[in-house]
Amino acid sequence: MRGAGWNDTTLVLLLAGGQGERLYPLTKRRAKPAVPFGGLYRIIDFTLSNCLNSGFKRIYVLTQHQSLSLDRHLRLAWSILQPELGEFIQTVPPQLRLVSRWYAGTADAVFQNLHLLEEERPERVLVLSGDHIYRMDYNRLLQFHIRHAADLTVACTEVPCAQATRMGVLAIDRAARVCAFVEKPAQPTPLPQRPDCALVNMGVYLFRTETLVRAIIADAKGDSAHDFGHNIIPNLVSRRHRVFGFDIVEQCPPERRYWQDVGTLDSYFAATIDLLAAQPSFDLFDATWPVRMYSGQHPPALMRRAGEREARAVDSIVSPGCIVSGGSVLRSVLSPNVFIGAGAVVEESILMPGVRVGDRSHVRRAIVDENVVIPPDMRIGCDHTLDRRHFVITEGGVVVVPEGTVLASSPTRRSANAQAPALCRNALTHPSQCR
Amino acid sequence: MAKILIVENDDNQRLLYRENFEEDGYQVFEAHDGREAVARVEVDPPNVVVLDINMPGMDGLQTLARIHDLNPRLPVILNSAYAEYKDQFVSWIADAYVIKSSDPKELKDAVRRVLARRALRKKRKR
Repeated sequence: MRGAGWNDTTLVLLLAGGQGERLYPLTKRRAKPAVPFGGLYRIIDFTLSNCLNSGFKRIYVLTQHQSLSLDRHLRLAWSILQPELGEFIQTVPPQLRLVSRWYAGTADAVFQNLHLLEEERPERVLVLSGDHIYRMDYNRLLQFHIRHAADLTVACTEVPCAQATRMGVLAIDRAARVCAFVEKPAQPTPLPQRPDCALVNMGVYLFRTETLVRAIIADAKGDSAHDFGHNIIPNLVSRRHRVFGFDIVEQCPPERRYWQDVGTLDSYFAATIDLLAAQPSFDLFDATWPVRMYSGQHPPALMRRAGEREARAVDSIVSPGCIVSGGSVLRSVLSPNVFIGAGAVVEESILMPGVRVGDRSHVRRAIVDENVVIPPDMRIGCDHTLDRRHFVITEGGVVVVPEGTVLASSPTRRSANAQAPALCRNALTHPSQCR
Repeated sequence: MAKILIVENDDNQRLLYRENFEEDGYQVFEAHDGREAVARVEVDPPNVVVLDINMPGMDGLQTLARIHDLNPRLPVILNSAYAEYKDQFVSWIADAYVIKSSDPKELKDAVRRVLARRALRKKRKR
């Protein structure tokens, strides 16, 4: 039996209120956990699926910025639990019960929702975020936490030192007790057994309730960024609380230890493209650990010839509702209702729902957000000097076309076959132009 | 001279506290309920607040949250005839919880303690 019922006395607080600035412009109109991933999913689906697959079914999702699409997604995809049995997934926007301001940090989000802990009186609180793509059995974490009589157990994983500089880095002793925790160190402490790697915080925290409440109240009264990584965990470690590190590489079987931070556009892009590998690090087809989602009602994907042009999709995800009409899709992810026109080439790109790629257009190493219409003969991702005029280009060279962008071929270069994008900011006539 | 704000709806209790604390050299201010206390903290914050819980209108725990919102570092001592509120997480925001008694010694000790702690914190900051 999973968790021997202990997961029933553990409450999940899923922090989904961050602005997700590093994922901008994908977070221009939606919260980070609501950003689509892998064609059919949203980022939050992975954390919630971990909860359900691990048997944790009392979940509050604390929302804040741009929460409408997240709220809608949770209602459509996740209204599946049995409230009569004490199960729930409940979104909680800021209530302003204790204070009259927005959440000032992750710890402040929990502080402002103390009443939830008061009502539920759980023995333990599992604090999660909707910021990562990962597969994890929280029951193993729970068993470890109980076995070590921990005040706090921090789930951690091993990443190359170069990546660890933008994460929280832990040092643990032989008994797995955390002896140091530093947020975003310039020189991460390497692991003794793997000197090229460091142990990093996964953003998964299991607290004894009393420890959590005392820590966040003390934090709320002092000078602090009110952040778990910056303040709460280092303070508990320095005050000799029983803080343990749960290294998933050591504690979990290979199929349950995938973790990927998708906090930046480049890491988001890399994690998505990784799904297309012959042996992907994260296998969406693993039936023993299903990832739940909602994609709406769509007809099946259709690949059809357009005149002499064959449609083809190679090493790609093609979601329901897509039509590839004489175009080519290579190493790309097409979300539902994407249309690819005749002679168009989409290469190593992520196309969000409703994107239309016109005939003969070429899209390369790009993330094209929802409902963007790319007219015929346009090139995106092929010349960064031109792309830079209108779009974000990441350090890794990925072009991002934001949601709501309306593109039109440049009138001055209309005769050329391959056009750089021109921006038509509003398809409707602006009131100032009406007479 | 440290300033104490006594928030208490019972006239006799307020009088008792006023006399005791004035005797010890504190400057004492009074509020009859939560709203009055919050208004007072907003315009002229004291050094410490002694706060009853069972009061008509805004109760002591609500008042505690409002005071915390206005001034998270202002020490507050909850002072109630009931121990049951100790279990409520919101009450943990307070710096001390003292059960009411005819002898105010424990309350006076708590006031001295939280003021000393505050002074020490200030000194460390400097």
